[in-house]
Amino acid sequence: MNPWHSRRQMLKTAGTGFGWLAAQSMLQQASASKVSPASTLAPKAKRVIFLMMNGAPSHVDTFDPKPALKKHEGKVPSADFMRRSKAAGYMPSPFRFRPHGDSGVIMSELLPNLGKVADELCVIRSMYTDEPNHEPGLLMMQSGHQQPVRPCLGSWASYGLGTENENLPAFVALSPGRPVVGPQLWSSAFLPAEHQGTAVDTNDLRVEKLLANIRNPELSLESQRVQLDLLQFLNRRHADKRQLEESLESQIRSMEMAYRMQTAAAEAFDVNREPKHIREAYGSTPYANSCLMARRLVERGVRFVQVFYVDRKNKQPWDTHNNNNSRHITLCQDSDKATAALISDLKQRGLLDDTLIIWGGEFGRTPFAQKNKDSNPKNAGRDHHSTGFSMFLAGGGVRGGHMHGNTDEFGMNAVEDRVHVHDLHATILHLLGVDHERLTYRYSGRDFRLTDVHGNVVQKILRG
Amino acid sequence: MTSPHATIQLNQAAAHGRRTQLRPAPLALSRVVQIVSLLLFFSLSCTTADDTTEQQRFFEAKIRPVLVEHCYKCHSADSKKVEGGLLLDTAAGSRAGGESGPAVVPGKPNESLLLDAVRYQSFEMPPNQQLPESIVADLEKWIRDGAHDPRSGEHSITEDEIDIEAGRKFWAFQPPQPSAFLEGQDTSDSARIDALIQRHFKDRGLTANIPADRRTLLRRLHFDLTGLPPTHEEVLAFQQDKSADAIQKVVDDLLSRKTYGQRWARVWLDLSRFAEDQAHIVGNNKSLFYPNAWRYRDWVIDALNNNIPYDQFIRLQLAADLIDSQKETHRAALGFIGLGPKYYRRNDLAVMAEEWEDRVDVVSRGLQGITVACARCHDHKYDPIRTEDYYALAGVFASTEMFNQPGSKKDKKDPENSLHIIREGKAQDLAVMIRGKVDHRGDVVPRGFLQVMFPGERKSFSKGSGRLELAECITDPANPLTARVIVNRIWQQYFGTGLVATPSNFGQLGQRPSHPELLDDLAVRFVQNGWDLKWLHRQIALSSAYQRSSDINAASMETDPTNKWLWRMPRRRLPIEGWRDAVLTAAGRIDVDTGGQSIQPDDPVERRRTVYSAVSRFDLNPLLARFDFPDPNVHAARRVETNTPLQKLFLLNNLFIIKQARYTAELVSGGTNEETVEAQLVTALFAQTLQREPDEVEFETAVQFLKNQPTALPQLAQSLLVSNEFWYLD
Repeated sequence: MNPWHSRRQMLKTAGTGFGWLAAQSMLQQASASKVSPASTLAPKAKRVIFLMMNGAPSHVDTFDPKPALKKHEGKVPSADFMRRSKAAGYMPSPFRFRPHGDSGVIMSELLPNLGKVADELCVIRSMYTDEPNHEPGLLMMQSGHQQPVRPCLGSWASYGLGTENENLPAFVALSPGRPVVGPQLWSSAFLPAEHQGTAVDTNDLRVEKLLANIRNPELSLESQRVQLDLLQFLNRRHADKRQLEESLESQIRSMEMAYRMQTAAAEAFDVNREPKHIREAYGSTPYANSCLMARRLVERGVRFVQVFYVDRKNKQPWDTHNNNNSRHITLCQDSDKATAALISDLKQRGLLDDTLIIWGGEFGRTPFAQKNKDSNPKNAGRDHHSTGFSMFLAGGGVRGGHMHGNTDEFGMNAVEDRVHVHDLHATILHLLGVDHERLTYRYSGRDFRLTDVHGNVVQKILRG
Repeated sequence: MTSPHATIQLNQAAAHGRRTQLRPAPLALSRVVQIVSLLLFFSLSCTTADDTTEQQRFFEAKIRPVLVEHCYKCHSADSKKVEGGLLLDTAAGSRAGGESGPAVVPGKPNESLLLDAVRYQSFEMPPNQQLPESIVADLEKWIRDGAHDPRSGEHSITEDEIDIEAGRKFWAFQPPQPSAFLEGQDTSDSARIDALIQRHFKDRGLTANIPADRRTLLRRLHFDLTGLPPTHEEVLAFQQDKSADAIQKVVDDLLSRKTYGQRWARVWLDLSRFAEDQAHIVGNNKSLFYPNAWRYRDWVIDALNNNIPYDQFIRLQLAADLIDSQKETHRAALGFIGLGPKYYRRNDLAVMAEEWEDRVDVVSRGLQGITVACARCHDHKYDPIRTEDYYALAGVFASTEMFNQPGSKKDKKDPENSLHIIREGKAQDLAVMIRGKVDHRGDVVPRGFLQVMFPGERKSFSKGSGRLELAECITDPANPLTARVIVNRIWQQYFGTGLVATPSNFGQLGQRPSHPELLDDLAVRFVQNGWDLKWLHRQIALSSAYQRSSDINAASMETDPTNKWLWRMPRRRLPIEGWRDAVLTAAGRIDVDTGGQSIQPDDPVERRRTVYSAVSRFDLNPLLARFDFPDPNVHAARRVETNTPLQKLFLLNNLFIIKQARYTAELVSGGTNEETVEAQLVTALFAQTLQREPDEVEFETAVQFLKNQPTALPQLAQSLLVSNEFWYLD
């Protein structure tokens, strides 16, 4: 029989679309087709690692040099913009910029290690978003909507593409502490709950602390196997008396899957198994551990890993309202080293080609200083800035060694080849082989999309 | 076909079918015309189905929104003044063009003035800011590809209005009628249900299953009516009771237990998106939390146990404060709206508009089974709901304030000491927000109800916010949906699927009822019986349909695999509440007496029922979240059932279940393991967990398991507590 026939019927009757199919095939362990049902285009990326710099890094100190700021230092911008009342004068970056690699991607001296992998990076210097506040900004970046209760990017990816490793969750959120907004950032909202991100606190690297219920507190795996055999005997007997009840069979199967997951997940999440030189390359900070764990996970078929740059005490370390410069030195040291190590590591393993890396914050920071009580210019800070900022992508089908778009001469507004967050989302899905206009879920009487009614794939950043 | 393209085409076909329905003013069309247009559309598309669909899709996705947003203000029939004599809101208008010539020349971008203008060449349009390059490129592509444009008519599409009168002909807006089939027959109450189900069997060659065995039936009744299992003794007694009214006695007994209200309240709390906090927490600010939300939960439980008529149940929740005789005793009922989400940056109009949408949604989907929230931005695309209907309803909530009522005069409005309810605000009518944008206002719409629901024009609400009038409209016996919707929700709890399978969408996009006459007959009699919910439960529980065995017979399965015609009782997995409460019961620990403040359901020493769980919009308890508890940020039409390894990891390894297994083992061994032999332990354990004796093979296997590992009684208990038999109702 034509295998698509039954799938068509399921789609018709189920009405919940692709993810449901993906889940079915996952549980059925059917003919392990590599082609996902939701793929409508040839996928360039099979998996994604999204490195979120919570609090928002300053674009004019990292990827977007603006010499004009020096010339007009101290001058208060004349234009009308949000949060204007907090604006002090233009503040030049103290950091030197230069081109890197064969391609000449420009970065500041804060990012020496990323400089070494410059030819892999596709820097978008013309990002913009709707609002310069953390909550709506983060929700927009994660879910395409400023208010909560929309599925986030990783959930959409899981829903659309399913998982490649049935012993691991399809979507994992690594966060050493809680980011601002919190669990809504890995929420599946109205999508089925299996597409919820599995949240993992990477502060404590012991596996039983990382993952809930991954070990039995009393039984060894061997003793548990004996117990499980008894349970499955009971289940088997129960099912045999209830012929044709398919759901009982899948319960039995997922119980077995859970048993295997204990071993598989314990192995996947355990960064202590990495050799010393690899661990040193990433560094030993919580963010570095998250990056390394992310690599182990995608290597084993996890579809989407969301990394949040936070720590126990700070829900948004990059929010440099004061001491912008000194704090960027510290933050970049950590982020630069681990991020560059992740890119090199993936490349060396041949995984970079089909793994998409995304790095950036929920918006950028103002090219001017903000009014602070502390008037010492050394301690000056930058405020939130949504109308122009930088992010970068690497691997997974994007043009390496490329700079896309521009802000105006002060870094105030994205002016050339502007990329809205919706466009970024459309592009990420495109790279995953999914048409953002077709990945829909019917809920409350209408078809929802990650990009709502917006979004254009940014063709110019795709590798030809 | 063996490639993923199959899926693509399928998806297009789906979209295609939907759009066919969507063609101008679908509700105004007679069925015949709809079918003709459908045929036309398909036959036209025989040769170039993909192209047309693609172009249509492109137009809807890329072109129409741009024209609406950037051009219509000055170039549509709705414009205050049509600039340049150019109308861009119809295909004809675009092609004819205005004073300067044709705006759109299909296939010829360079001759199209529209493109000229958006490129800022001869004209500069839109005048305030040039469109982004990508949009200009879309417009160019559209024209080059032939400027596909489905917008018919000589005038604006907004003239292409929904015909409410025609819309009222849709089944859901017709008042329900008692069954014509049963007219003149002297059929007792629940026999009417069976007559209306059985009439479908013969023609389809279906045979109804025989009645379920007594243990199965008793388990079914106990879980469905009270959310708890029977005891083994109750099973044995029921098996012995040969009296004619044995089942009836059980049903009456269960309906009189207070555990009935605890079980059914949760159904209501799902649909009313009950929660105790907000999805957003800014810093440590808890001022928007609802620490006393439990008082609304207790109110719902009590109301169900006291069997407050359903119409009154709704009136109190929407407007108890406006009914003098009720406002003192039933104020907590106002948590229905009062516990709704409050969003970030509340004083902003755009944010308040989001909150009003929540209120409109919970009322329209929750109580009326119809989606209205999408009419916030445009007329409903499928149902006879206009944007004006949305703003008429939203106005009621814009005139209502969220309010923390202090417990005593001394208490400030501190949430800690307050009831989280609503009160009258400044009465105001809202102006339509065009395309949902707060700064783009249309006409002011007087507060009122959905026009399609009652004959004639919409009556404006005039008393304060209009909440009481809204409640009266919903509970008016002439309202075509209220009774049907609640009857269907309750039916769904029993049978797994509603008579309408989309319980919160009775509209065009929802499913049609499988048994329309049955739904209507029940709805009519429900209202005739004074909106008596316990009456309704009794009808369903006493029907033969409900009491059938769940066995699958291959022949019927072949004819009706989804059991649409109800030849069997479906086998159902317990919801998380049912499973956890059954575990606590088996462990001998359940406390069914204490209500009030919330508990953490995965706390191993917690004894109270799962309905009392803390419900957080910010961070839902992991046990609940893992086992398909709905997102409490929004109205949940029904629970989605998932089966994941993460659920099973909980059942294998979590301390909650390990402790309950130990309690259960201690209970059957009387606290000591030494005196009791394995055989007795196994028998007692099966009775305690599954309310039956083990069969011979089970008995031998379990005894052997214990003999090999003398300390394994808790492990055996755990196996039974997480087994499929424990989780499933036959």
